[in-house]
Amino acid sequence: MVAFRNTDTSGRTTGLLLRCVLYSLLALGLIIVDKRYDHLGKIRRLLSIVAYPVQIAVASPFQGWDWFRESVTTRDALRVDKATLESELRLAQFRLQRYEAIEAESQRLRALRGSTAAITDRFVIGNLMDIDLDAFRERVLVDKGAHDGVFVGQAVLDSGGVFGQVARVGQLTAEVILISDATHAIPVQINRNGLRTIAVGTGDMSRLKLPYLPTSADVVAGDLLVTSGLGGGFPAGYPVGTVAEVKRDPAQSLADVEVKPAAALDRSRELMFVWLKPQPTASDVPANTPAPAAPPAPSTHAAPKAIKSPTAGAPSR
Amino acid sequence: MMRETRIRRLPMALSALVALALAILPLPAALQAFRPDFLVLVVLYWSIESPRAGGITLAFFSGLALDVIHGVVLGQHALALTLMAGWATHLRLRLRVFSVLSQCLTIFALLTGYQFVLFWVDGATGNPVTTFGRWLAPVIGALLWPLLVGTLSRLHER
Repeated sequence: MVAFRNTDTSGRTTGLLLRCVLYSLLALGLIIVDKRYDHLGKIRRLLSIVAYPVQIAVASPFQGWDWFRESVTTRDALRVDKATLESELRLAQFRLQRYEAIEAESQRLRALRGSTAAITDRFVIGNLMDIDLDAFRERVLVDKGAHDGVFVGQAVLDSGGVFGQVARVGQLTAEVILISDATHAIPVQINRNGLRTIAVGTGDMSRLKLPYLPTSADVVAGDLLVTSGLGGGFPAGYPVGTVAEVKRDPAQSLADVEVKPAAALDRSRELMFVWLKPQPTASDVPANTPAPAAPPAPSTHAAPKAIKSPTAGAPSR
Repeated sequence: MMRETRIRRLPMALSALVALALAILPLPAALQAFRPDFLVLVVLYWSIESPRAGGITLAFFSGLALDVIHGVVLGQHALALTLMAGWATHLRLRLRVFSVLSQCLTIFALLTGYQFVLFWVDGATGNPVTTFGRWLAPVIGALLWPLLVGTLSRLHER
């Protein structure tokens, strides 16, 4: 069985070894240039177009199967689905009723304090591609790229909360690094008391860590963590996870806190790319604030401005 | 001679393309660590079988394709694959007279070398992967080797 047909048995391999050395040097050069400088972004983007057909070819049978399964669902199953979706929607609408008023109020209060938080401007939904990138890194490929305005460092959410951020952009695809990747960290704060810290990935999709909290920190199991918006990468106030376990060892100075991510990192198929509204610069904030801040009445004219962000996102869903 | 090399290139490119697709085929998360490096096996086969038809060129460009698809630093897989294809080319006359077991062991060494280069570049570029799962792929790959040679040589003889 293990037989080679070829009769090329001449031992002359000097030319081949020379070629091997040349290619190795070329590869080493590529590694250094790619690591040290940023010139290869364009080349990589072009190469990603070449890779796209392969990725599509691998992903399409799975998508086809999903489509097939969807198109042969029974009427009853669809009816059950519709009922659950309707009840979910109703619940979401109940929760949203006060949202716009609260958002406007928070804007006014922030204006009073002269502080501005980044506001989400618009969303674009991307679909996960059925492709395994690397077994040892928590990364996924999404079918939106530079063509759709996606950029490196952009925040990515799913319906549960923060999913990750864009690590690399191709022309038609983007690579998203999950918040659970061992090299990823995200600034968070505890919703209950505003305590700020950093949530670090573990390489395990069901777990994050808070490694920088002192043993005396006010954190208990069940606390909700939201993005703090510090660093400017992620919009503030989106759920990141809930504290699952707090281990305090009196001999250690730092507590051992485990967090369960809010996003369904291992299940989500639809991801939202978020664009932040450009923040007003520090110079024009003090000039603007006194006017709307003085009387509490202008809530009516302040509200439409603030409402814009959630409604702007709605049509693109 | 010219004609012969041209004939050889089609199965080469085809098998490399199939291996590339297998490298990104979605697997259940539990099985992901067990995925053998199909493309490396295919490249090694061609560098042993017909080195003069461009096994090392194939290795370099296959590696580049892996770099782009896996989204790692450009040149990482290209370097590892080129080095291992060169080594396999060097060993090819000996490999042909080896028993199945010795062949598998040699392939295991080559695959481990491949993983080692990847590991080293990962570390040198500042994002090390320290899980032991990475060293599992060479074992699976070596076990698959006789099967792969059987399939590819049949394809080749057509």
